[in-house]
Amino acid sequence: MNPHPHAREDLAQAAASRGALTVSGLDKSFDIGGKPRKILDGINLNVRPGEFVSIVGASGCGKSTLLRLIAGLDTDYSGELRLDGDRIATTSLDRGIVFQDHRLFPWMTLEQNVELALLNTDTPKSRRAQIVADHIALVNLKGFEKAYPHQLSGGMAQRAAIARALVTEPKLLLLDEPLGALDALTRVHVQNELQRIWMAQRSTMVMVTHDVEEALYLGDRVIVMSPNPGRIRRIVEVDLPHPRDRRAPLLHRLKDEILAELTSGADAAESADNLVHLPSREAR
Amino acid sequence: MKDQLARWPVRLVIGLVAPLLLIFLWQWQASAHSVTFAPPVAVASALAELLRNGDLLRDTLATLQRAFTGLAIGAPLGVAAGIAMGIWKPVDRLLGPLLHALRQVPMIGWLPLIGLWFGVGEGTELIVVSMSAFFPSMLNSHAGVAQVERRYLEVGGIYRFTTLQRIRFILLPAAMPLVLTGITQALAFAWISTIGTELLTGAGSGLGVAMQTAQVQQRLDIMLVVIGVTAALGFLINQLFRRLRQSLLRWQPAQS
Repeated sequence: MNPHPHAREDLAQAAASRGALTVSGLDKSFDIGGKPRKILDGINLNVRPGEFVSIVGASGCGKSTLLRLIAGLDTDYSGELRLDGDRIATTSLDRGIVFQDHRLFPWMTLEQNVELALLNTDTPKSRRAQIVADHIALVNLKGFEKAYPHQLSGGMAQRAAIARALVTEPKLLLLDEPLGALDALTRVHVQNELQRIWMAQRSTMVMVTHDVEEALYLGDRVIVMSPNPGRIRRIVEVDLPHPRDRRAPLLHRLKDEILAELTSGADAAESADNLVHLPSREAR
Repeated sequence: MKDQLARWPVRLVIGLVAPLLLIFLWQWQASAHSVTFAPPVAVASALAELLRNGDLLRDTLATLQRAFTGLAIGAPLGVAAGIAMGIWKPVDRLLGPLLHALRQVPMIGWLPLIGLWFGVGEGTELIVVSMSAFFPSMLNSHAGVAQVERRYLEVGGIYRFTTLQRIRFILLPAAMPLVLTGITQALAFAWISTIGTELLTGAGSGLGVAMQTAQVQQRLDIMLVVIGVTAALGFLINQLFRRLRQSLLRWQPAQS
């Protein structure tokens, strides 16, 4: 619990050398039907250490692609991607990711799944069990250590995936629509958990979502993206201390603004273009 | 109602309906054509005789030993080959076409050739049984590794798994259901080809040899005893293996 902005700044300073993400002039194209198609166009973004950044945008705006590039799962890009000054060229234990599907290994218990993330870290073997237990407690799953993923509910499995991603203490945690597959109630619950965990850990987090409310509730800043090709349209500062109140008027005002931006965004000509061309492109 | 049907004593009784009906029809028919058909009573006394003189035990043990030795040789080789082919494309390209062509030949079809090379005897039988255990293990293991989901492999990438870690923690466990299916099939194939080779080579002891001898001696009762024992043992082994499989795959959601 840390409602004081000053204390928060101190913490942020302590972590200053950890988790600063720099994206500059990032372009990404996919080959579709033999023709290159631009997915990301000139993305520039600086994420401060310890910051929570949300990215929203219509489907197809390349926000998940951006996250996969930062994770190092796809290394075919032009431009600059750096974490604490080091160019991102492959995956790294410094960068954790939570996917929309939890991706826990079904053949392992919750405990084993979390511990497996420590396999290639230099964490001493003797301390691993304790660290795993701490992280399972962090996501409120105590008592489910021996459960197999199919025995967990969707929300529990997703929290387990968050524990697995955090156990390596990554400088940067990437969240790719982590709550997208959950029902509305579970979603609100896990959002609260996520806020609590972020406040406890203070690692840098970048979350992609299509839920504007969720983006605003969690993000220090919200990046609004537009599609075809994916560009940053606007960056919204959410100047509210954590933990936040969902009913805060600022959040609602910003939500209306961003929704207006996202829906009016594609002007008549552009959307007509989409309607005419999307199906034929798929047919090819 | 559904739960009641699932309870094992009920299942046992239901499972016995068809065999008992068969025995009844058999007794009834056998009294009508006594030359070509031995009635159950005669078969029962043949069974008692074979148990007393130890023939049945000797033959059963010989067959079991042959089948399981063949399985112990063929199945691990098949699993290893299938997994290697699933993981490394060059291995698949190198061995795939040859193995897929060879498996088109029914196992019994290899018997004359292998018999010519190694002589009629234990060695030849073991090679044929091993081969028949090899192919189903290989095919299923290959399919098991080939269908491992990419999203799990990505998780391995995120946590910087080495090739060996990827095989041990992702590919093998993910392929395990199909690997075990392969071994179950290998078991059935090994059992069938053991009896088959014993019938054809007729050397030493074994259930197949006993069947053949009984045919020569026109001992219909003994033939039926041996067939019954073969069927019962095959069924029993298969059940045991299903149990083993269930306990190995307890991480899977229950299939109903």
